[in-house]
Amino acid sequence: MATELPSDVNSSEVLVDQTSSKWLPPGLALQKVDERIMTLNVGPQHPGSGHMRLIVQIDGDYIVACDPDPGYVHRGEEKMAEYRNYITNIPHLERPVIHDSCNVLYPYVLGVEELLGIEVPERAKYVRVIASELNRCIYIMYWLAIYGIFLGHSTMFMWPAGDRELLIDLMEKMTGARVTHAHFVPGGVRNDLPPNFEEVCLRQVAYFEKRIKEYAAIFYDNPILIARTRDTGVLSRQDAIRLGTTGSVLRASGVDYDLRQKEPYDVYEELDIHSNVMKEGDSYARSKIPWLDMMESCNIIRQALQKMPKSGSVRVKLKPNPKGKGLDTVYKRVESGRGSLGCYIVSDGKPEPYRVKLSVPSFRNLIALPYLLKGEKLGNMPSVYWSLNYWPVEADR
Amino acid sequence: MGTATGIIRALNSGIKHLAIKRFTLRYPEEKLKFVGDGYQFDPSTGVGIAGLKGRHLLFHDHCTGCQLCSIACEGVAEAIAMVKVPEEHKQNKKAIMPQIDYGKCVFCGLCVDACPFYALYMTNDYELSSFSKEGLIYTPAQLQVKPYVAQDSEIIITSRGATHG
Repeated sequence: MATELPSDVNSSEVLVDQTSSKWLPPGLALQKVDERIMTLNVGPQHPGSGHMRLIVQIDGDYIVACDPDPGYVHRGEEKMAEYRNYITNIPHLERPVIHDSCNVLYPYVLGVEELLGIEVPERAKYVRVIASELNRCIYIMYWLAIYGIFLGHSTMFMWPAGDRELLIDLMEKMTGARVTHAHFVPGGVRNDLPPNFEEVCLRQVAYFEKRIKEYAAIFYDNPILIARTRDTGVLSRQDAIRLGTTGSVLRASGVDYDLRQKEPYDVYEELDIHSNVMKEGDSYARSKIPWLDMMESCNIIRQALQKMPKSGSVRVKLKPNPKGKGLDTVYKRVESGRGSLGCYIVSDGKPEPYRVKLSVPSFRNLIALPYLLKGEKLGNMPSVYWSLNYWPVEADR
Repeated sequence: MGTATGIIRALNSGIKHLAIKRFTLRYPEEKLKFVGDGYQFDPSTGVGIAGLKGRHLLFHDHCTGCQLCSIACEGVAEAIAMVKVPEEHKQNKKAIMPQIDYGKCVFCGLCVDACPFYALYMTNDYELSSFSKEGLIYTPAQLQVKPYVAQDSEIIITSRGATHG
């Protein structure tokens, strides 16, 4: 590891409070520290978006150590999944990231299909690809809006929040819902596309692509943004691999790893996908990769619309209360808006899964944060933190 | 590209937007149109696709009181309760129909998927707020009413930009 966490973050001597001996949560207990060092709690109520706390120790303006403290919005999704059957798990399993709900549900649906041994119709696979690419764009636009307001660039908050509406509108036409779609089910998708969807989709995606290209002048080529984010929070290629980061963080550090290319699921192998890689590994590269991903998503949507069978079934009818065949496990992963998202399902032959475990990209990317922030200025903290493509609710599940 | 050029370009791309029409929708004065151009909502019957984020519409002459909607909701929100109704319909021997609590409903539409008699549908009546918790509970008689939602705006994309009009 290039940088090590200072030992006094986790193992400093805790002073025993003489007046009361009650236990205090980590970060609140009195600690013997250098008088120069000040501990700062960023959060837990919305340090940016979503609830989580960053315990930052600063020396003047420089960060000495950072201890991310996720878990504030733990919902027990995995435990809840054990008490519901395979179909009624769908609405609550997409709640961790409502903007990216199709991609969050995708590995679960793929896993259940393998457990039940269902073959999905060809048209449904294409509809899923279109839905998940639209969702990826919707997520990234929301992420980008918050990244803009983190850096004090309020135009970059307004523009993506407005342009995101075009794709939300498309999803509404497709599924009926603006954010939590519950569209994917084991055996296909719930509703077929509306009759003139192809025309509407091409028109709105073309305009969307034109709009996101305009962001270059105001945001990505803006000298003020470049000055603030270049060479801050540099994650080397080696460290990115060792820390187990994924998605845009990994690709910004020069590792070409996109699950849509490396482990294609559904119909991704039939589509021509270009993955965006940058070598710098700094905040600027990490913030630019998702923006480039959106343009790639627009290309994938166009290809999928072209290759999609024009008619046919989109859903295989399941028996009521479907169940797996005895003891069985399955692990599936997909490339979500943040990186590789896995779902591990254990079935014991009952209508309810025995265990559902989500392996989420947000948590994997958060691991890199203490290493990146050490020695940075406090003012760079928001840009480094949010460039990790982190979604607090997903990490807590 | 120099710093000055970059800042001028950034300002310029923002200033261009002064001449473009506003994209923001002025809700609640303007409401988005849910009809036509890809939307899956039929205003003549009030029926939309399952998953549309509006309240339900119950056809009393189709409902048989089979409770499948209530069973589908059990693992999701437990929003549907089967309540007694006057014995008017022949097909409904038990004289029970769904009553939906919108304080709990997550609008996933699994109840609509479950209905084998095409009695339950979702509509685009999404303005369901109430001053009391009891006001959110819709009885079978309330669910029967076809919703009316004023719709006037839709997204218009022109060469100069997108707007709501």
